[in-house]
Amino acid sequence: MIVAEDVHVNFRTKLFGPMVRALNGLTLEVREGDFFALVGRNGAGKSTAMYCFLGLLRPTSGKVQIMGQLPELGSRLYKNVAYLPEEPHYHLYLTVEEATRYYTSLYGKHVSNKTINESLERLGLAEFKTLPLAKCSKGMKQKVGIAQCLIHQPKVLFLDEPTRGLDPLIVREFRETLQEIHQRGATIVMNSHVLSEVEMLANRVAIIDRGTVVVQDELQNLLTLDQELYRVVFEANGTVPDYLNAVEHTGNLVRAFLPKARLGDFLELVRTSGLLLQECSLKKASLEESFFNLVKGEATLTENENGNREVSVS
Amino acid sequence: MTELLKANIWADVKFYRRSKLLLAFMLVFLLLTALQSLPPLFMDSGVQSFNSLQQIVADLNFFLLILAGGMGLLIISSHLRSRSLKMVFTKPCPPELWLLSAYVSAAVMSLLLNLVVLGSGVLLSVLWHLPVRMGLVFVSAETFAVSLGLIAYLMLLGTVIHPALAAIVAVIFNADLFYQFDVWTKAAMRSGNSSIALRMVERLFHGLYILLPMVYPFDKQTQNIHTSLRVMSGEWKYLLFSLGYTLALSAFCYCVSLFALKRKNHI
Repeated sequence: MIVAEDVHVNFRTKLFGPMVRALNGLTLEVREGDFFALVGRNGAGKSTAMYCFLGLLRPTSGKVQIMGQLPELGSRLYKNVAYLPEEPHYHLYLTVEEATRYYTSLYGKHVSNKTINESLERLGLAEFKTLPLAKCSKGMKQKVGIAQCLIHQPKVLFLDEPTRGLDPLIVREFRETLQEIHQRGATIVMNSHVLSEVEMLANRVAIIDRGTVVVQDELQNLLTLDQELYRVVFEANGTVPDYLNAVEHTGNLVRAFLPKARLGDFLELVRTSGLLLQECSLKKASLEESFFNLVKGEATLTENENGNREVSVS
Repeated sequence: MTELLKANIWADVKFYRRSKLLLAFMLVFLLLTALQSLPPLFMDSGVQSFNSLQQIVADLNFFLLILAGGMGLLIISSHLRSRSLKMVFTKPCPPELWLLSAYVSAAVMSLLLNLVVLGSGVLLSVLWHLPVRMGLVFVSAETFAVSLGLIAYLMLLGTVIHPALAAIVAVIFNADLFYQFDVWTKAAMRSGNSSIALRMVERLFHGLYILLPMVYPFDKQTQNIHTSLRVMSGEWKYLLFSLGYTLALSAFCYCVSLFALKRKNHI
């Protein structure tokens, strides 16, 4: 559906300034029906990648395709595409209602007043519809962006930090709306710093660092990064096996991590030496931990001899 | 396509209506014109009233040309600088259409303002008991034709360079300036200085004079109409010539602006 092959983007910030390498061989694939999240630290190249997908930025080299076509500004391809920018670069001289009407009318289809009003009502903008965008808060502008994105029920959505500046009530409703749209079959590409949000919504994730994709996989696979460890809590009677990691002592209570491979040995020890085991659970990993491990280079994704992917944490 | 064109023109007209810079400029100029039209109210002489009418019409038309150029420059530069075009080009609205809408909307605004100026000229003629001359129509129509070219030229400059630089190029470094330089260098060469450097400079000035667009391409032929507000039957053709020149200039500027707009990164 969306393919980027070895995309490089270099540009100068000033006329004679140094060359900035925004994307450095970015390669990724978004499949139809994916809820795809691009995550990475500031300046990693997430927004630049999105600009390339949308045709707003021409790659220095490499190829980008959406639905088998090169993204060209304003082409028919965009009939089924919606974009929510990170920064509110809107037509600030228009009012909330006018901007929503204008952006939706650019799809060349008639949108009734009722639909626009309902959309504004749903996002809590009805009472501000005559307010110029220039006088709106960042959150309100973001809501206008969301309204113009969703009215046409697009097949592909590009969302750049979509919940930035929104109040918690709207964030929740917006997430539910996105899930609804995704369930209807839309493909969604989202940039986000909020990793808990990505965990809630996305089914596939690409972690980008320094303009290149560090890892691109199903969210579930990324969440198993640390699942090779068990967390154990036990009362020690003098014996603490040397294969335990990150051992913490609180009185005679021991908290530690147990490698999966040594689970049998440990349980045998518990049985024979009479350790009082209070807890033994598979360590629940979060995307945040996986992200840190991958970006800091403490984890790698490799393929084993069966062709399956394995994550190893150093 | 018509829907898209209408939607963009609608948004652009809102932009002109709400642009404080254009509004301030318009108010200042109208105030000056109003002050200028006060003295003839206390004059009995028809000649003095006609001179005042001719001056007011000339000033208002000059103002319209500046305003038209300003509209062309502002519509492009403000959208480029606010980076709001990313909201347009990520929808099925190509740059060709957006640029055309911007040009048409500025032309429509210019036409409306020209009609207001023409109406004011007619009204002042009636108020001051002067015959309504066809020259008023000619001057207004010519100003409109010229403003079409100015809109396109300033749109082109606004697309490729900073708006402040664009304004400087349009106001100072225009065809008139290089015509003057061309005349001076030719005069210097006739007076005996025929160095290679001077000849090269003369060629450069002449080339720039030819390349840069002229505001009034037929000003020598239409100068009398502007001063007398009378039109001879054979002089209407210059209106068509002006329109032809300005449309050709607009088409050229449109193509170059479009090329530049497409080459830009809208991020």
